[in-house]
Amino acid sequence: MIRYLAKRGITYVFMIFLTTSAGYFLAVSSLKPALLEQERIPRPTPEQVANSMRLKGLDPDLSPWERYVEWLTGIVTRWDWGRSPNGAFINAEFGDRVWISTRLFLASIVLTLVIGVALGVYSAARQYKFQDRVITSYSYLAYIVPAPIAYFLVQLGAININETVGERIFFVTGISTPGIQPGWAQFVDMVGHYSVPTIAITLVGWGSYQIAQRQYLLDNVNADFVRTARAKGLTRNQAISRHALRVSFIPVAQSIAFTIPAIFAGGFFAEKIFAWPGVGSWSIDAISLQDVNAATATLAYGSIIFALGAILADFATTLVDPRVRVQ
Amino acid sequence: MSTFLEPADPAPTAAERLHIAGLHSPSDAVLSVRDLNVSFNSENGAVHAVRGVNFDLMPGKTLGIVGESGSGKSVTSLAIMGLLPTTAQISGSVRLKGKELLGLSDKAMCAYRGNDIAMVFQDPLSSLTPVYTVGTQITEALTIHNPGMSKAAKETRAVELLAMVGIPSPRNRLRAFPHEFSGGMRQRVMIAIAIANDPRVLIADEPTTALDVTIQAQVLEVLHKAQEETGAAVVMITHDLGVVAGIADDIMVMYAGKPVETGSVDDIYYDPRMPYTMGLLGAVPRVDVAEKSSLVPIDGIPPNLLHTPTGCSFAPRCPLVTDACLDGEPSLNPVPGANYHQAACIKSGSLGADVDVHDIFSAPPVPASRFDLMPRAERATVLELKDVRKHFPLTKGALLKRRIGTVKAVDGLSFDIREGECFSIVGESGSGKTTTLLEIMEFHKDQDGEVLIGGISNKQAADARTKSAMRREMQMVFQDPTGALDPRFTVYEVLAEPLQNAGLSKPDIKKRIMELMKLVGLQPDHVNRFPNQFSGGQRQRVGIARALAVNPKLVVLDEPVSALDVSVQAGVINLLDKLRAELGLSYLMVAHDLSVVRHISNRVAVMYLGKIVEIGEVDRVFDNPRHPYTRALLSAIPVPDPQFERTRERIILQGDLPSPLDAPKGCNFATRCPVFAALPAAKQEQCLTLEPPLGPVQPSRAVQVVETGPVPVPDQQFACFFPDGELDEHMLVVHETAEPHAP
Repeated sequence: MIRYLAKRGITYVFMIFLTTSAGYFLAVSSLKPALLEQERIPRPTPEQVANSMRLKGLDPDLSPWERYVEWLTGIVTRWDWGRSPNGAFINAEFGDRVWISTRLFLASIVLTLVIGVALGVYSAARQYKFQDRVITSYSYLAYIVPAPIAYFLVQLGAININETVGERIFFVTGISTPGIQPGWAQFVDMVGHYSVPTIAITLVGWGSYQIAQRQYLLDNVNADFVRTARAKGLTRNQAISRHALRVSFIPVAQSIAFTIPAIFAGGFFAEKIFAWPGVGSWSIDAISLQDVNAATATLAYGSIIFALGAILADFATTLVDPRVRVQ
Repeated sequence: MSTFLEPADPAPTAAERLHIAGLHSPSDAVLSVRDLNVSFNSENGAVHAVRGVNFDLMPGKTLGIVGESGSGKSVTSLAIMGLLPTTAQISGSVRLKGKELLGLSDKAMCAYRGNDIAMVFQDPLSSLTPVYTVGTQITEALTIHNPGMSKAAKETRAVELLAMVGIPSPRNRLRAFPHEFSGGMRQRVMIAIAIANDPRVLIADEPTTALDVTIQAQVLEVLHKAQEETGAAVVMITHDLGVVAGIADDIMVMYAGKPVETGSVDDIYYDPRMPYTMGLLGAVPRVDVAEKSSLVPIDGIPPNLLHTPTGCSFAPRCPLVTDACLDGEPSLNPVPGANYHQAACIKSGSLGADVDVHDIFSAPPVPASRFDLMPRAERATVLELKDVRKHFPLTKGALLKRRIGTVKAVDGLSFDIREGECFSIVGESGSGKTTTLLEIMEFHKDQDGEVLIGGISNKQAADARTKSAMRREMQMVFQDPTGALDPRFTVYEVLAEPLQNAGLSKPDIKKRIMELMKLVGLQPDHVNRFPNQFSGGQRQRVGIARALAVNPKLVVLDEPVSALDVSVQAGVINLLDKLRAELGLSYLMVAHDLSVVRHISNRVAVMYLGKIVEIGEVDRVFDNPRHPYTRALLSAIPVPDPQFERTRERIILQGDLPSPLDAPKGCNFATRCPVFAALPAAKQEQCLTLEPPLGPVQPSRAVQVVETGPVPVPDQQFACFFPDGELDEHMLVVHETAEPHAP
């Protein structure tokens, strides 16, 4: 298993290198931070701009290849991913952003998985009954409604509650109130800030897991081996929960494995709407701010996360399916 | 001996109605089924899948339920087990040791399922849960019905069960997963699960249909042993009349959801009284009969069960049909002069053992080919293989592939096919039959060995033009007629495609298609239909017509009838026979059903692990097999003749086909060979180190003495050092149930 993971790891490192390099060339040849600088008032002279860019390692006069070599040398020798046009260091910014994204999504992803899979099993066991129809219809609705709209609706709901109670219980944006006293007050403040985004993301997210788990389980409910289990003397529900469930969980486990790394990559809409400045919003901002190094860094990060997801998915599959052989 | 219920009079009295309802079933019957009816709601209305099944099963006895697909035999068994979907409407009575099972809740039924009544299913590959070990699945069956059993006791019992069904090193195998077992081994595990709690009734639904003949023989033997050990009564469901001939005490023949003939096994096989039963028996080719007679085809298809038949359900296909047959559905009535032999036919009195089924069903005369009288050496060669090999490298590693072995799928094959001849290749799955066909179809100059098709060699410029010339010489008919026809093509388009490729003009194509339709026995005005509007047999006829479109000399038949029902199969076999005679075709056929092979072939090759172990004229090889593998293969085939089946000695090979990786050095077959096992060590050495070459059979001494001149060498070759060796007695089985089965 370890040899297998190592082999897969090497393949992915190579792929990440290729995508990141390609991304860097694309970014360096299309993003021109110098142009933005010129819109400042008072307008700086082109020499000033070029000078300031050169100091930050973003010399617009060098060819893309020269800048690529310089950038790559920085990463390989000093693990320095460069600077933004505003002078910020990518490495420093990055850690903060990942931590914010993680805090925003961690709880809701866990809830999404647990609720989604549980409801999937529950509705598959009651196929076409009232409960199944309600749950599955909701899941399709959550699929169809664009995430930003759903988030806004949850925010409006929270504001309504605040107004009804006449006190600010929920914070619809932001991570924490600045200058709060540590202790109980801080905990209450944290719950107030966390609950709205967590609930919103969970409500939108579980639908896809519910639909997938229900479908995979239904595929197996009438499988021959479930019939065998019933012929042994298990009731239908026992046969389903002991035999069909584990088999139907194999593809779901795979998709879950892909989801977990995505927590760290964040989500653009959620971060923007709830004003949590994480990785997702950063990657979009980088492009609008003509930030070559930040855009490339988020791309590299995305590739790494994807590779981790793929390895994790393989790992999850071997864990739940004894038929998979690792060679 | 079990008995079948007396039929109900048209107006049953109250007592009789109670009788039918099962309240008066024989007290010693372990399972009594009365007037079982099952219907399903479909989009087009209620499908009446089972209509009035009655039987009593006595302890320790075996009932065979025989019928074609859709006859309601599996639905009957699932209804007894309570495993039908809740949407099925079931009525009647099913009594297990006097207790009514129908109408019990799923939960209440669980006390019986797997305990008193157990079941073995058809497909062993999908019937075990893939993610649990075999041990877990056997132990589960024990836990459900014996909650107090200790863990150690359960494991001991599981090991005992696995040993009973013949799984080597059972203690270690408990921890193996189903995918680590072969199909035959998985079916043994299924049987072990079924007999775990010593059931009183064991239902086996086509338990060997998915398996090779040699494995089928093993599994039937295991079932037989399981029945002896547990004393269970067995319901054996099958479409194969050979399988039940040797093991059943009674037979129930089902057609269109209804039993149409019931009786003891001898009654049914030797004195059938219902035209359908007679047709079924006549439709099966016999592996033990050399004399060639045409098979009995039953025209038409089974009725649609959406509509309740107003007359005899078999009437539309019955050659003896009269107006009286259409007037009300006949019920099961005792055959005159018999006790419990019953048939649902108004003419059962006039039928019997002395009526020839070939006359009733007007079986076509045996077609004679103009090549039949010509000596083989004088006929032109249409296909020749010279030392063809196909080795697959077995590699390990993803990035840097290391070769860890070679799979010799086909290893030095040489044979030729002459004009007007049917040559068949037989062997278990994994013996290299299909690879041989693929190698011939591949026809590439880089192949290892030479393939000559109609004089064109693959070593000559195998460019597109040579290939297309080759394709005109040789065409192929595939196993699954449904998969081989494009569902979006009409029959016209299917047949026109090869003709367009051959560059025919439109009017010529049309004319040729009409010819082809008539040739294969389809109605020419059906050319605009889509494949799904035809039955399986008709689709295979379309497949044959497509192969014949370009007038090939050689047709490759890959299991041409294995996907078809018995009655339909006979018609297709007769057609193939007729076409060979009329058009002077040659066939290269691959089939696992040796009875079909014997019926249709002139010459046969037996393959084992990529090599031909015996080859020659079909009657010589089948009547006087010299290679131990051929002997075992032939011995494994069940024959639809109860007396013969009960008394004969059979060779049961041990184990499965070895993995090509562990192929032995000397003779490939040594690991399973019944002769090898009985040889003294010195002679075994020869088998293990030297590879036996394919050599001709010497004419027997007697012939040499009588004949004065040079004796012609018989057309039979085999590869074995000790063809006349004694067989190991552990691999021989004779059932001691040879007592007469007369009522």
